[in-house]
Amino acid sequence: MTTHHHGHKHPTGVLRSGPPLIAMTDISIAFGGIKAVDHASVDLYPGEVVGLLGHNGAGKSTLIKILSGAYKRDHGDIFINGEKVEISNPRDAKALGIETIYQTLALADNVDAAANLYLGRELRTSWGTLDDVAMEAECRKVMGRLNPNFRRFKEPVKALSGGQRQSVAIARAIHFNARILIMDEPTAALGPQETAQVGELIKQLKAEGIGIFLISHDIHDVFDLADRVTVMKNGRVVGTARTTDVDHDEVLGMIIAGKCPPGAVPGPGALQSPAAAA
Amino acid sequence: MYRKILTLAAGAVALAAASLATSPAMAAGKNICVSWKTFQEERWKTDEAAIKAVVEAAGNKYFSADAQGSAAKQQADIEGLITQGCNVILVVAFDSDAILPAFQAAADAGVKMISYDVLVEHPDALYVTFDNVGVGRLMASTMLEKGRQDGNFAFIKGDKGDPNATFLFQGIMEVLKPNIDAGKIKNVCETFTDGWKPDAAQKNMEQCLTSVNNKVDAVISENDGMAGGVVAALEAQGLAGTVPVTGQDGDKAALNRVALGTQLVSVWKDSRVLGKAAAEFANMIADGKANSDIPGVGKFNSGAKGVEVNAVLIAPNPITKANLNDVIDGGWVTKEEVCAGVAAGTVDACK
Amino acid sequence: MAAIDNTQNPGMAQEGTLKRFLRATEIDSRMLGMLGALLAIWAGFDLASAFVRGGDGLLGGTFLTPRNLWILLVQTSSIAVMTTGMVLIIVMRHIDLSVGSVLGFTAVCIGTMQVYWLGPALGVGHPAIWIITLILGLALGAAIGALHGTLIAYFGIPSFIVTLGGLIVWRGAAWSVIRGETVAPMDKNFKLIGGGISGITPGSIGATASWILGLLICAAILALIWNGRQQRKRFNFTLKPVWAEVLLAAAGCAAVIGITWVLNAYYWPKGVVDRWAQQTGATIPPEGLNISFGYSIPVLIALFVGVAMTFVANRTRFGRYIYAIGGNPEAAELAGINTKKITLMVFSLMGMLAAISASISSARLDSATNALGQFDELYVIAAAVIGGTSLAGGLGTIYGAMLGALVMQSLQSGMTLLNFESATKDMVVGCVLVFAVFVDQVYQRRVK
Repeated sequence: MTTHHHGHKHPTGVLRSGPPLIAMTDISIAFGGIKAVDHASVDLYPGEVVGLLGHNGAGKSTLIKILSGAYKRDHGDIFINGEKVEISNPRDAKALGIETIYQTLALADNVDAAANLYLGRELRTSWGTLDDVAMEAECRKVMGRLNPNFRRFKEPVKALSGGQRQSVAIARAIHFNARILIMDEPTAALGPQETAQVGELIKQLKAEGIGIFLISHDIHDVFDLADRVTVMKNGRVVGTARTTDVDHDEVLGMIIAGKCPPGAVPGPGALQSPAAAA
Repeated sequence: MYRKILTLAAGAVALAAASLATSPAMAAGKNICVSWKTFQEERWKTDEAAIKAVVEAAGNKYFSADAQGSAAKQQADIEGLITQGCNVILVVAFDSDAILPAFQAAADAGVKMISYDVLVEHPDALYVTFDNVGVGRLMASTMLEKGRQDGNFAFIKGDKGDPNATFLFQGIMEVLKPNIDAGKIKNVCETFTDGWKPDAAQKNMEQCLTSVNNKVDAVISENDGMAGGVVAALEAQGLAGTVPVTGQDGDKAALNRVALGTQLVSVWKDSRVLGKAAAEFANMIADGKANSDIPGVGKFNSGAKGVEVNAVLIAPNPITKANLNDVIDGGWVTKEEVCAGVAAGTVDACK
Repeated sequence: MAAIDNTQNPGMAQEGTLKRFLRATEIDSRMLGMLGALLAIWAGFDLASAFVRGGDGLLGGTFLTPRNLWILLVQTSSIAVMTTGMVLIIVMRHIDLSVGSVLGFTAVCIGTMQVYWLGPALGVGHPAIWIITLILGLALGAAIGALHGTLIAYFGIPSFIVTLGGLIVWRGAAWSVIRGETVAPMDKNFKLIGGGISGITPGSIGATASWILGLLICAAILALIWNGRQQRKRFNFTLKPVWAEVLLAAAGCAAVIGITWVLNAYYWPKGVVDRWAQQTGATIPPEGLNISFGYSIPVLIALFVGVAMTFVANRTRFGRYIYAIGGNPEAAELAGINTKKITLMVFSLMGMLAAISASISSARLDSATNALGQFDELYVIAAAVIGGTSLAGGLGTIYGAMLGALVMQSLQSGMTLLNFESATKDMVVGCVLVFAVFVDQVYQRRVK
């Protein structure tokens, strides 16, 4: 059982300066006796993209929902810049600068892009009423950056295409000066061109020093964008590796068999290596 | 001796079963018993007081059981009352079909039965009730005598699903028919009212007034609640007080309207009159009088099964301005309630 | 920019005049359809009544007369008030079956307070009675709604069950407060809330005040349109064409002036004028005296509630959250919205609206009975649905539901005017409900 704390030698072999942006240590959660996440630890540095990989049900989405405040963990701690924080609902997470783009996009389908962008954080006039025009103006600005062709500001988002909805969801996550961005299958609903756009965006955000958790079951996506990958299986961390230190097949081996390659730092979910067994 | 022991024993059992304070078997004189369908409703307490007074005045004893709104409990109640040695049992049936076996058991045991207010179609039982068709006739005849004999009549009927609404209307039409046939009375509006609801009656009356441009001379409303809605609609057109309105039930608010002059009549079914009459009949039957010899008795076969029974139909009392004293003196309502807002000197009963 | 817009909507080039008109004016085409249906119903009833009896209506019948339209609006007001809350509840994917019973219960409580408590205590007709009972009544309604809301939001009991229970419980409670009796008469000032005439004081504001109000509403419409335009200018958004703005302003003002004129054309009935003259010592000229009713108080209450609820729904966070929760409850929760609190507040608001309706209904009837408001829940839900509220949640407008209430009351009033049997009326109203939803679905599919 090893947990990685800041100041220790980083799993990738690089010693980073300062504490990680996020460190989740020894996190567990169970639903009805089933351990969805079992003593998992992950960390994330500023300007870094960490891919979380695993089969459906491996626990990656659950782990991340604990970070975004949707679930409350049974055990473990969360540190931001080395300080222990308490996250018990989505509002707490947002207050700490943690924004999430959910796999289901989590948009209110019946209202327009601006209303979704500001959902829960509406702009108001000095009378205390909603300032829809100001919100639409801001929405036009941020959408102009993400998706310059977008024009359908007056329509409920259910009328939009998958890519357009995705850009609304991303706009909502980045518009409020997020420090930490969680993207759960951000390209699942997108065509190749839109996927490329999201990739560009991630690079841009990274350059701004934002830390990103990228959750996906498509390892190709992740390899292109992530600096490190953490693989989960059956609720436990198999291992963490820099994308430069491992190849596709090794990561596939981690996902499918839980076999930790030499380039990776094994976690509690890793198979006993054949060498050690022998 | 043997029989006495038996009744004593039965009484003891019944004592436990029906939670009666004393057993009828102990009583001197005759035992008159009542099986109520439910005592949750306020009105039965009024009936009980009237019955009890008459029974005890004749030196008989009064006993009762409350079925609490259960047909099964009522059957057990009646069986209990039979074993306790009741001579006559008055029954306010909760379910007039389900109670028939209990009536048969009573007949077999030689106990006399009176179906009170609710018809039970058993040939040996005496049926004592208000003359419900007569209520309609009374409304109409009071209208002819003290309201209008001619002109445009509006008819605000009760709920279309309630047979009483139709019975009432039959009685009304019986009386009005000669004047209608003679062309003196014109039926300008006739409408059922969902659930006898006053607010629905108000809307119906408003539409009626609109459709004939206020040319309504009299309104036959089938009860007091709806009459309230009718009067509200008339008042909005400045017609309240000039257009006579009928009703029934002796509602406090309606009696107040009668005193104020905005309603002509409220046909009042005084439950104490009914209770008193039924108790007197019970005393007579306990003394050996046959059902067919009761004063005022007639044959009644308008029930669902068409069984012919001996029946006494008590005439209700049409309350108008002239006899408001009846309700006040009878203790049904207070003078203050009836006379609220009545200008001094306009109504005798309010002096 | 317009060129890009076109590429996103390839069908636009072939659009008909009507569609272009709707797009330019941003009028809800659904509302336009419903207004059309309403006018058709009105015209139909006037024509039909012209054949039956004849009258001085617009088309020769008795329906399109100032008097009938005035009464129609009063008759609609109670349901219209409640349906504004029901829209928000249905939008949130809930239902409230208890509104009719809550109405009955609060009405008998208000009546009991007026007739048995405050009347004897302060003296019958004391000017404080109506305001005290009104405030306590509204508080009672809100408290009952809050109780329902708590059970639904915090105890997780489905709203259908909680309010089905409420439907039964509050009806029973209404009976036990007054033991099935009728409480009457209501306080003479309170009675004005119902729009009736209390003595010689009418429950309406008369000609002059109605014209002033009409002009103020007109001014408000102009101000809203102007303000909207300025706001859009502030951010350099594309503006509606000027002709569209002018047309909207003109149509809105014409409608307000027209309605004011019609309501002012309904005069006090002769009996009331005579009583008034008798009591004030005024002399009536031989040709008679025309005193206008104008806007009645219940209609003003319904209008005010409609405007206030539209404001709440469209211009406040609370309203925005209601729609967001209806669109996607999970998304709303993840966006940090306290959905439980919102649910509680919406049900509490519904209870208060039911109490407002209770005041209107009991004041209008001049009495409170435990049967008051029975089946109202069905009419309130039906009005919301006819008005375009989707039972799947997320969709619905306040004005649509109020129009729905007017459509239903028009059908009922019109059929009563024609002396239809009540069984026939029930069947027609039921069929219209189903038909309206059917038409709406066809429309929705074609829009997609």
